[in-house]
Amino acid sequence: MKSLHNKVVWPSLVAILVVWMGCDQGSEKPMVSIFQFEKPAHFPEPTYTFRNNEVNEKGFNLGKMLFFDPSLSRDGSIACSSCHVQSHAFADTWLHPFSFGVEDRQGVRNAPPLFNLAFHKEFFWDGGVTHLDFAPILAFESEIEMDISFEDVVGRIQRNDAYKALFREAFGIEEVTGPYVLHALSQFMLMMVSADSRYDQYILGDQQALSSVELEGLVLFRQHCESCHREPLFTDLSYRNNGVQRQISDLGRETITEVSEDRAKFKVPSLRNIEVTSPYMHNARFEGLLQVLNHYTQGVQDQENIDPLIFKDGKPMIQLSEDEKTKIIAFLKSLTDNNFLSNPIFFNSNDR
Amino acid sequence: MQFIRQTLTILAFAMLSIATFSCQENENPTLEDSGEMIVKFDNYVGNQTMVIDEVGSTNYRYSNNSGQKFNLTRFGYYISHIKLEGPNGEVFIDEMNAAADANQIKGYYQVVQGNSETYNIHLKGIPHGQYNKITFNLGVKEDGIQEGAVGGILDRAAGGWFWNWNSGFINYIIEGHSDASLRDENRVQIHIGGWKNIPSGDETPQRFFDNNVAVSLPFDATVTVSNTLRPSPHIMMDLLKVIGDTDLSTENNIHSPAAGKAFAPKLADAFIVDHTHQ
Ligand code: HEC
Ligand code: HEC
Repeated sequence: MKSLHNKVVWPSLVAILVVWMGCDQGSEKPMVSIFQFEKPAHFPEPTYTFRNNEVNEKGFNLGKMLFFDPSLSRDGSIACSSCHVQSHAFADTWLHPFSFGVEDRQGVRNAPPLFNLAFHKEFFWDGGVTHLDFAPILAFESEIEMDISFEDVVGRIQRNDAYKALFREAFGIEEVTGPYVLHALSQFMLMMVSADSRYDQYILGDQQALSSVELEGLVLFRQHCESCHREPLFTDLSYRNNGVQRQISDLGRETITEVSEDRAKFKVPSLRNIEVTSPYMHNARFEGLLQVLNHYTQGVQDQENIDPLIFKDGKPMIQLSEDEKTKIIAFLKSLTDNNFLSNPIFFNSNDR
Repeated sequence: MQFIRQTLTILAFAMLSIATFSCQENENPTLEDSGEMIVKFDNYVGNQTMVIDEVGSTNYRYSNNSGQKFNLTRFGYYISHIKLEGPNGEVFIDEMNAAADANQIKGYYQVVQGNSETYNIHLKGIPHGQYNKITFNLGVKEDGIQEGAVGGILDRAAGGWFWNWNSGFINYIIEGHSDASLRDENRVQIHIGGWKNIPSGDETPQRFFDNNVAVSLPFDATVTVSNTLRPSPHIMMDLLKVIGDTDLSTENNIHSPAAGKAFAPKLADAFIVDHTHQ
């Protein structure tokens, strides 16, 4: 009986499995892989179009190679990883005074951290990019970023035999074209999931994960910050003006929607890993979290489109004692996800 | 025992062969009952044929209604969602698909002035019958954008007209020079794009502008698609219908949905079916 199982039942089962999965594009990867996108249990459904671009090990590794490759900038000096650094949750280490100079748009914008992008609907501080796949096009082509046309990027990749072979393996294509470069980069960035901070452990049932001070901070956070920095992503993905520009020079969301009601509004940033992403705000105005809280409680002033949750009737709406500020900051630091910040799957493997 | 073993083995092979064959696409199930049509686009500037000049050229071949002279260094548009209709209820809807694989792109066409291969749209799989009307979308709608990175004529790295800072395609692109423009090199760039509308509410304004335009054109005669008949409607497009009244001294740098909004309503009228070859 045993041998019957081995010789006959197995092949039949395999055959049945083949039939069952045969037409399913995504079934070639191993059943269990660390290179598979997995939604954290307490997260909402991802918005990324995985049906067109499922993450797998080869595509991920190829995306990583591109992310760390400075030869894809005009003068060969800058890679994505120059401004998006893992130990800083893929934010910048320090402010680069970059601005997007296209079509009379100006402004100084700080590189945001990169994680949980599979759950976002729009990208960049003004949300002008409507799909993660398109984000690298802007990064490559921006004069103050990599200053190279996407056409030239793809041209350079096409002339590189090592890349050609890897694209063939990952996507089964003979000629590298734009969309596959973007798919590879997306695969790498989609895997940047940060959902394993002490806060997450607490939410998932570990009552000991947060100290009593941090828990008090969480209560205060839910009272004062939750309406914009909504759990579990710590952003509601909306656009708001929290008054961080002294004078409005960067129009923010208005550039995209083209209505003055959106002037100076910016995408509410996530606060996960906030401990390691200083400086803060789109214009990098603050170095420390206490400065941020002081801005909300007393620094903020009336301004066009200022959010009524921040400033109303001539006064700041968020009032916190020094003790409460300390507690909120303690809580914010429990959002640091060390496993993410040191996850070796993201390490540079380009030392060629 | 032997019997079970044989049965299972046969079953296994049967299943395997089903697996092998069941995935092949059956593209044209009713090939005998369907035919083709070639839709030809001819671009004009008023009554002059359209010619593309080198960037930097000061040879101004054309002039608008107020006498401002200009030339063209780049011109074209996207066509999608083509539909044909006939007098007896015939309907053909061109299949749409946006994908990374250029060979899987369906239903999107880019007419690029200067590249004559792009002037003819070859429609296949049209049910046999009579047709007297064509409808299409000028531009690329949400279904061509929100699937993410796409290839072929939609690939930004291969000549796709795509805005990097405000994701979306340029539906209709005009570039050239005009002595009326005071920009560097007398440049004129009119990029008409935009694909979403967030309508105004009680207290909120309209956000974004959808500058996709539905174009609906009756043929000058009813044509027949059959095994032996492959008709060819000729569509004429006149750029002066779009920018004839534009003041090129001020409107020479159009790069956003709101800025393109004034041009969009004129686009539909720029197209007519000039004649149809049966
Ligand atoms: C010179 C520094 C720099 C380089 C190099 C760079 N970026 Fe960025 N990145 C930024 C800045 C600054 C922003 C925010 C700009 C804005 O919102 O206007 C940003 C935003 C992003 C975003 C949007 C994140 C969000 O939350 O909305 C993504 C995704 C991104 N970059 C990916 C990349 C990729 C991929 C590359 C390489 C192809 C890259 N970046 C190269 C500085 C850089
Ligand atoms: C009305 C919505 C709103 C509320 C309420 C709010 N924030 Fe913010 N927060 C924002 C916006 C919008 C930004 C980005 C502003 C910018 O850069 O222009 C921001 C930015 C931040 C940043 C900087 C993040 C970064 O990556 O640069 C921190 C830290 C922060 N908020 C903490 C808090 C805390 C703590 C509270 C509660 C005390 C709070 N916020 C309440 C909307 C809000």
